[in-house]
Amino acid sequence: MAKTLSRRDFLKVGGVAAGSATALAALKNVMSAKASTEIKTAAEEKIVASTCHLCSAGCGILVRVADGKAVKLEGNPMHPVNQGSLCPKGQAAPELLYNPDRLIGPMKRDRASGKLTQIQWAEAVQLVAEKLNTLRDAGHPEQSVLMHGDTRGQMRSFLARFMEAVGSPNIVSHESLNVAAAKLGTYLTQGIYGLPAYDLENANYVISFGANLLEAGSNPQRTISGYTYLRRGRATRGKVVVIDPRQSITASKADEWIPIKPGTDAALALGMANVIIKSGLVDADFVKNYCFGFDNFTSNGDHKGFRDFVLDNYDPAKVEQITGIPATTIARLAGEFAGNGPAVAMLPGKGGLLNGGFSGVYTAMAVHMLNALVGSIESKGGVMTQHYMPCADYPKLPSDPIATAGLKTNRLDGAGSKFPLGRNSYQSIADQILEGASVEALFLYDANPAFETPGGKRFSEAFKKVPFVVSFSSFMDESAELADLILPEPTFLERWGDDHIEGLGYPGISIYQPVIEPLYDTMNTGDFFLKVAESMGGTVAKAFAWKSYEEVLQFRLKDIGADWELLKELGVWFNPGYRFAKRGSQHWIDNIVGSERMNAPRDGYFDLYSRELNCFLGGMKKDELAKLGISQTGDNANMPHYEPTAFVGNEKKYPFMLNVVTLMSLGPRSDAANMPTLQEISGMTVRETWDSWLEMNPQSAAKLGLVENDQVKIESPFGRISTKVKLVAGLHPNVVNLPFNQGHTAVGRFAKGRGVNGLEILNPASEPLTGLASFTNTRVKVSK
Amino acid sequence: MTDWCMVIDLEKCVACQGCSIACRFENNTPAVSPQESKNGRAIRWNDVFPLPLHFAPDQGEYPNVKTHYITRPCMHCKNAPCVKVCPVQATFTDEEGIVHQNYNRCIGCRFCTVACPYGVRYFNWFKPEWEETLAEYRNPDQLSVNGSLEGPAVRPTGVVEKCTYCVHRLAKAREQAKVEGRDFRPDEYVPACVQTCTGKARFFGDLDDPDSTVSQLSKSLRAIHLLEDSGAHPKTLYLAEG
Repeated sequence: MAKTLSRRDFLKVGGVAAGSATALAALKNVMSAKASTEIKTAAEEKIVASTCHLCSAGCGILVRVADGKAVKLEGNPMHPVNQGSLCPKGQAAPELLYNPDRLIGPMKRDRASGKLTQIQWAEAVQLVAEKLNTLRDAGHPEQSVLMHGDTRGQMRSFLARFMEAVGSPNIVSHESLNVAAAKLGTYLTQGIYGLPAYDLENANYVISFGANLLEAGSNPQRTISGYTYLRRGRATRGKVVVIDPRQSITASKADEWIPIKPGTDAALALGMANVIIKSGLVDADFVKNYCFGFDNFTSNGDHKGFRDFVLDNYDPAKVEQITGIPATTIARLAGEFAGNGPAVAMLPGKGGLLNGGFSGVYTAMAVHMLNALVGSIESKGGVMTQHYMPCADYPKLPSDPIATAGLKTNRLDGAGSKFPLGRNSYQSIADQILEGASVEALFLYDANPAFETPGGKRFSEAFKKVPFVVSFSSFMDESAELADLILPEPTFLERWGDDHIEGLGYPGISIYQPVIEPLYDTMNTGDFFLKVAESMGGTVAKAFAWKSYEEVLQFRLKDIGADWELLKELGVWFNPGYRFAKRGSQHWIDNIVGSERMNAPRDGYFDLYSRELNCFLGGMKKDELAKLGISQTGDNANMPHYEPTAFVGNEKKYPFMLNVVTLMSLGPRSDAANMPTLQEISGMTVRETWDSWLEMNPQSAAKLGLVENDQVKIESPFGRISTKVKLVAGLHPNVVNLPFNQGHTAVGRFAKGRGVNGLEILNPASEPLTGLASFTNTRVKVSK
Repeated sequence: MTDWCMVIDLEKCVACQGCSIACRFENNTPAVSPQESKNGRAIRWNDVFPLPLHFAPDQGEYPNVKTHYITRPCMHCKNAPCVKVCPVQATFTDEEGIVHQNYNRCIGCRFCTVACPYGVRYFNWFKPEWEETLAEYRNPDQLSVNGSLEGPAVRPTGVVEKCTYCVHRLAKAREQAKVEGRDFRPDEYVPACVQTCTGKARFFGDLDDPDSTVSQLSKSLRAIHLLEDSGAHPKTLYLAEG
């Protein structure tokens, strides 16, 4: 019988036959315990190992492909970060792959009319190659700029090589929006520019400063795995303390939530240091023999060391005044931290709490120093140093005078010049262009600066001044809408790629492979640049002799210990087991402490008095330092200290600090906002869905006459937005939270026109020493 | 006889909602429109939410506040109220303790959604719809029990649906054992939410086997049932925080 019964027909049949013995038998059969089951599934199934690209964790995935369709993702149990788990973003990834708003092929935009026309990839290659050759012929290859987002693995080095071969120093990472403050804090103390890895599995006491680590840290899944193991996965349970003005999910899951006045974390860390030193709980061996600047020292005159500086300035009673945390609590935390080792103080890898001026870098330094005081640097249950899989060196670039000259120019974003301590200043690209810097070609890889930077609308203006903007986005996002060439990359489920495994200390590689054939006429950006190089000819073509990006990966990963076929099968390869370096050993000096310092000695000393910072600030006068937002002078400026955040917005007029928070569900990537499932679950904590909201303390709301779900105006000196208010008891009365990744004006049907983007009204200024974006120094007013 | 049971350690749960979404993609419950989602008609067989259930202005004063989160699958009760009230036997408990929902028999009266003390039975107000290409990722598994569809099969409008402990996965695991010519072992299958759990907070197995993890955990001093006094004898266990 081909015709299927409708349900209503079925019921009719059932009704007619109700009296008959057969129907009774059928009914009994339904009720019977021994149900007969039959399972039918797809004709052809396979499981493909790959890597998730929806946040910076890079979890291993196993994708179920049924009849040529990717239907389900599971965590890859082999992958050490997620160990078989997968968060809602990863689970919802098929909505990204099969999203109805994906771009289906390369397009060219006519600037005057804004009209888009489909083009062939060959034409796109030719246009880009010609543009770059024109710039090189004119002797200005540095006028090409590449901005990129979360690009780990070989793609980063590949893009860097491409820009180097072309002759431009301008490859700009988005790290100034998030991880750079924590990286700088580690750099100025430990002398390693990178995020520390934490040995949570062996830690007994964990104190996290201002990070929603379990939701949207730099590696949330890694922290979750470590955190749950530390609490209930082993015989003895560790304690977790979270310092945050907001009771995030992380804070409510912790043993203790210590609410703090925003921007004062450094004072708390130093207050704890004060108690630890006063009580004689420091790791004497470590601070005397492996740290620089604990005691007073003489070198061209007398200098005060960290100990006296902290003892003189950060008595808990004074810290209580600054942070709003009782002195007894500070003393207790210090005692617990130093007395219940192994203990570790964690930096917020991601999340803007450190990005409020240079004070954020001091905060990162102060927090990281707590680890040094108790000897938790490079020790079990403490801080580990991230090691990377050694990849085969690219062949030496052919000598090329045009490129050499171009590479000698100052970086467009001012890193190393305007911002002497900065490595990347993503958001300041707009300022530079608007101030008249000549940029002839701008490439956006995995980047949507018009949306994801404070005051991102400046990019709309800036792009108008750049004659040639190229976006590689898979979606028509806010930045792609302004681009001249839109060259969509396939989603991460359809392309080759890889990630370095981070967060566990030991090295590893996790690869992406096309789990299905690309759905549309898209091209891996790696392949695209290979074609461009070939078309450009000359030295650039010589630098890129590979036929495909997959070949580049095979070349780079040939010595990691797994051959390509095995790597494709497993998806992941790593050298497990972190071996802690012995204090003072050659390995220590070469890889663990001080080895990446650019100016100060690479002598294996952990700096409590930052000699690296002294190389920048030493000799500066009070007014020069004040211009950088540093109130201390002389030696004190080189030590971590509490620096009041220079808020924009008068406290009387603008009483609240605006905290734009990243959620586990929507995450940091613009394309995730166009996944309906993530939209649906985004407001779980406040019972909201498909929208933005402003979190506010109920007492503060009552003073303003606001009740739950009132529509409110949020105004900063930079603009005004409007959304509904949600009352959240676990929130500092002077802080309001707005979730990130809503308020899109583009991307797709699910993202567009929902809620507001809090970044629009944040301070667009870059921090003068480091080029960091400002996320937490904007005050706002909230009204009905 | 196998007695399937799930244990959820609330202390390891980090309220990430991975379970909710793993369930969605395993069991074909698509996202609904924004307005319907606001009306509370989104279907997620396993939902995650903060407690108390509704916004309470007296949930504590800053800074003495503690928010709790809970994740809630079907409890697969031993004395299931939903089974008792169903006038057409569309919902029934099998011999291994899984509460099934048969879409062909269900008449959509919603007695069960009211009877269920846990609110884990969802009525299909609309035909499940996947916008355009989104339909491509649907789970193709078709489980039929006594000839009628259950589990991930796309539901018609007007029936009630619920968590099945991913009973189609169980059927597949049994099938696999049969193909390989060996006996099926209870540790060969877990539901999608258990597999994906980011905090490794979920455990699944045979309560009848004293050596299984769930049996061991069920003896924990932290083991609790939700609404123990409902008389439903819920089987899904929680390990309380603390």
